[in-house]
Amino acid sequence: MTLLRLPSSAAPTPARTRIRTRRRRAGRRPRILIAVTALFFALLYLPIAVVTLFSFNARKSLTVFDGFSLRWYRAFLQDDVLISSLGTSLRISLVAMAGSVVLGVALALGLVRCRTRLGSLAGLIMLVPLITPEIVTGVASMLLFKGLGVTLSTGTVMLSEITFSISYVTVILRSRVAALNPEVEEAAMDLGATRWQALRLVTLPALLPAVLAGAVLVFALVFDDFVLAYFTTGVDPQPLSVRIYSAIRFGVQPTINAVGTLMLAGSIALIALALFIPRLFGRRGGLDILSGE
Amino acid sequence: MDAIPAVRLDGVSKQFADSYAVHDVSLDIDAGHFFSLLGPSGCGKTTSLRMIGGFTDPTEGAVVLAGEDVTALPPNKRNVNTVFQSYALFDHLSIEDNVAFGLKRSGVAKAEIRQRVGEMLDLVQLDGLARRRPRTLSGGQRQRVALARALVNRPAVLLLDEPLAALDLKLRRQMQVELKQIQREVGITFVFVTHDQDEALTMSDRIAVMNEGRIEQCGTPEDVYEHPTSRFVAAFMGTSNLMTGTYRNGEVALADGPGLPVGRRAGIADGAAVSVSVRPEKIWLSDFEAGMSVLSGVIRETVYSGPTTTYLIELAPGVTLSVLEQNTARSRMEDRWSGGETVEFGWRPEHCLVLS
Repeated sequence: MTLLRLPSSAAPTPARTRIRTRRRRAGRRPRILIAVTALFFALLYLPIAVVTLFSFNARKSLTVFDGFSLRWYRAFLQDDVLISSLGTSLRISLVAMAGSVVLGVALALGLVRCRTRLGSLAGLIMLVPLITPEIVTGVASMLLFKGLGVTLSTGTVMLSEITFSISYVTVILRSRVAALNPEVEEAAMDLGATRWQALRLVTLPALLPAVLAGAVLVFALVFDDFVLAYFTTGVDPQPLSVRIYSAIRFGVQPTINAVGTLMLAGSIALIALALFIPRLFGRRGGLDILSGE
Repeated sequence: MDAIPAVRLDGVSKQFADSYAVHDVSLDIDAGHFFSLLGPSGCGKTTSLRMIGGFTDPTEGAVVLAGEDVTALPPNKRNVNTVFQSYALFDHLSIEDNVAFGLKRSGVAKAEIRQRVGEMLDLVQLDGLARRRPRTLSGGQRQRVALARALVNRPAVLLLDEPLAALDLKLRRQMQVELKQIQREVGITFVFVTHDQDEALTMSDRIAVMNEGRIEQCGTPEDVYEHPTSRFVAAFMGTSNLMTGTYRNGEVALADGPGLPVGRRAGIADGAAVSVSVRPEKIWLSDFEAGMSVLSGVIRETVYSGPTTTYLIELAPGVTLSVLEQNTARSRMEDRWSGGETVEFGWRPEHCLVLS
């Protein structure tokens, strides 16, 4: 009996005291945290909420809301210039998506499997576009095209966007490639597949969720992109983001609110899809860019 | 019978940087045999298997399959298939499509593929799971899929890289028996890599014991267990009482202990440093026969484990032998000994191996 009671009758251990203080402090913590969080979300989303709200305004005013209407959406659909810009943006995004996925996947496979000093150097250089200010990339791209005597056009936007997006695809794919069991590809070759067939029939299907997530992310990034597009686009046709910017310079039309709301809805849908696709395949996310998992 | 061995390694080496994973290994594996490559991890057994499969290129020597030198051929051009340690199943394909993968690659007609896949799934008792995905199966079932996927191609040789290592003990015992039955049924040469000497002993027609990139001994399970030719094999195969000493005039003088009478041995010079090896189950504690070497020692420990009891007997300070006694109905109560008792023990001369 005494033997059993001995440990519990001893004075509260330092560990237990610590737990108690922490719990007391935890009781006080939420109020200020909730306030900060609320402020954060307000600053982040209030402007967007205002844009969304006023896209449904019945009047032309940008300050007074006067009843619900879809007139600005109708105006947008009848605006040939904006519609053609939307088409241009979609084309640029699709081409950039396809190009950067093909190159990004190839780069990820190469970086993981080529374990030389040059390979790890390439792996570091690959990350540079992610931290370079976009305006630097934009100006540099423009100067490069000018220097080479290439006329700026939709094609030059596509090239720049592909270059800029490869890193995203590679970062997402690299950890997945590293997590692949090398024996699986060997098994395919053991069963008669050539190296290329093994890649096509076994490795790529295993990477598919990450490939799709990367593709959707690139599409959303490129579609929304303004800076790079602004510096590398020709005069006509122009991507939607650039077109909106030029339109705003001559006074803000509420049509822009409608366009902004539609782009927002589209982006949210895409990001949701990117998050959802890996779940569809019963695996953990492909979107965590920071950890690359 | 075909006189050409199914697999021949001819002076094969694999050098990584400045060390050898496999060093000058030569061996013949007869067609239809269950052949085991046995050794501790890092002994080169998996590297040897990978060189037969074509996944690792030897730095020296030749790999010959059924008389044809395949050293330069990639895996998809060799008539062998592999069961990988991780099973390496294709997770995005159904069990059926996993098994059909090899047949599709070699352009077998659809109807025949369906029939052969069905038969193979029957053989490994997976019929009914054909449409499931590998991830939904248990470890034992995945193991069978890997086996079926390789066997369905009717390779000349099947390579198995520790295929049972990931299974729990009971399932492993069951799969050992099944694997051996399947091998007999299909008549394909199996090359089986394992670090588990029990597994190798129970399943193999022949065993090659490997250590540090070389083959220490190659023979039947009885050969390797009963007549180990090196200290390493004696120690690695089961438990062995290994004592070091000096051989002189039919006796081995232990470092600081008594001399063991071992009889005259051919090929061992007087004064040579040798190891003496006696299996625990070959040491008797009673009913000694004429011609046996009989010694005495003190029982230091008795370990009862159901069907057997192990006695640790101190022969001299620092020299302890382990002795295994069967607890059969025939062994009498008065045959049991307890700690501290001084007992006599002995062995037949042929069970005492002198290894130089």
